[in-house]
Amino acid sequence: MRDRSELYPLKILVAGGFGVGKTTLVRALSEIEPLLTEQQMTETSVGVDDTRAVPDKRTTTVAMDFGRITVDDSLILYLFGTPGQSRFWFMWDELSRGSVGALVLVDLRRVDECFPAIDYFENRRIPYVIGVNTFPGANDHDEEAVRDALALSPETPVQWIDAREASSGIALLVRLVEHALSRTAPVPT
Amino acid sequence: MRGGAEDGRHGRQPAGRVVPVYAVTGGRTRSAGADLPVEALVTVTDAGRWAENLHLEYRTILQLAAAPVSIVELGAVLQVPVGVARVLVGDLADAGYVAVHRPQVTADGTPGPEILERLLEGLRARSV
Repeated sequence: MRDRSELYPLKILVAGGFGVGKTTLVRALSEIEPLLTEQQMTETSVGVDDTRAVPDKRTTTVAMDFGRITVDDSLILYLFGTPGQSRFWFMWDELSRGSVGALVLVDLRRVDECFPAIDYFENRRIPYVIGVNTFPGANDHDEEAVRDALALSPETPVQWIDAREASSGIALLVRLVEHALSRTAPVPT
Repeated sequence: MRGGAEDGRHGRQPAGRVVPVYAVTGGRTRSAGADLPVEALVTVTDAGRWAENLHLEYRTILQLAAAPVSIVELGAVLQVPVGVARVLVGDLADAGYVAVHRPQVTADGTPGPEILERLLEGLRARSV
């Protein structure tokens, strides 16, 4: 019988505005069947999260997406897509406790929707990285413009991603963990 | 996490439920498992493998916990709010039927550098 005494759960939050691709990213990365968490959404809304404007996404649920990545024999990483609305921030408090950090997804057509998430993680000194999801027609921005628009501090990583691609999501996770590690390193005196 | 407002208790019972899950938990919302983080991992023990005469929910958890499974996953599979899953897991832990593996955090409440290094290594191995 294999010893299970060394098992470490880890978690990373996936935040950002409604319809920015959080669900898509979690599903692209998860090894488990995504558990139905948006049951109240209309049929027509499901599956067009990436490519359409979101006027028809009026209903949502408190329930959230989560996904799982078995990193190695003893590390299991959970990804939690956090509800964007501020009235659900009580859930963020529990989820962010003990987390590695957060991916904040941004849709450049609606940058302001990610401000609450950025403020939240900044105020709590939780490591986060910005993932600019590449929607059609929204790709012609440079990093400096994005940094300006989001008022990011210089050390906050920014990366262009395609939330549908697992490799792209993994690359963003790597960036976050590197960033989190850099903040745990003792400051040379 | 499902039903963060814990209002999802109507109409979500999976087919085949023998008794309402609130009967199983006796309406308790606090137990040994009450403070478990949603990502805490659960594994069945040898005693749990041989446990008998348990409610369906407990048996389901013991079956799923043959491989490491988190509280939030158990809640989703059982279609109960995560708070209920915590209570059920707490009961099984009290009985010695499951082992619970909590996140390892440092004094400041975050994962330590050793764990982060391993996470980084594991993620990089996937990105090739």
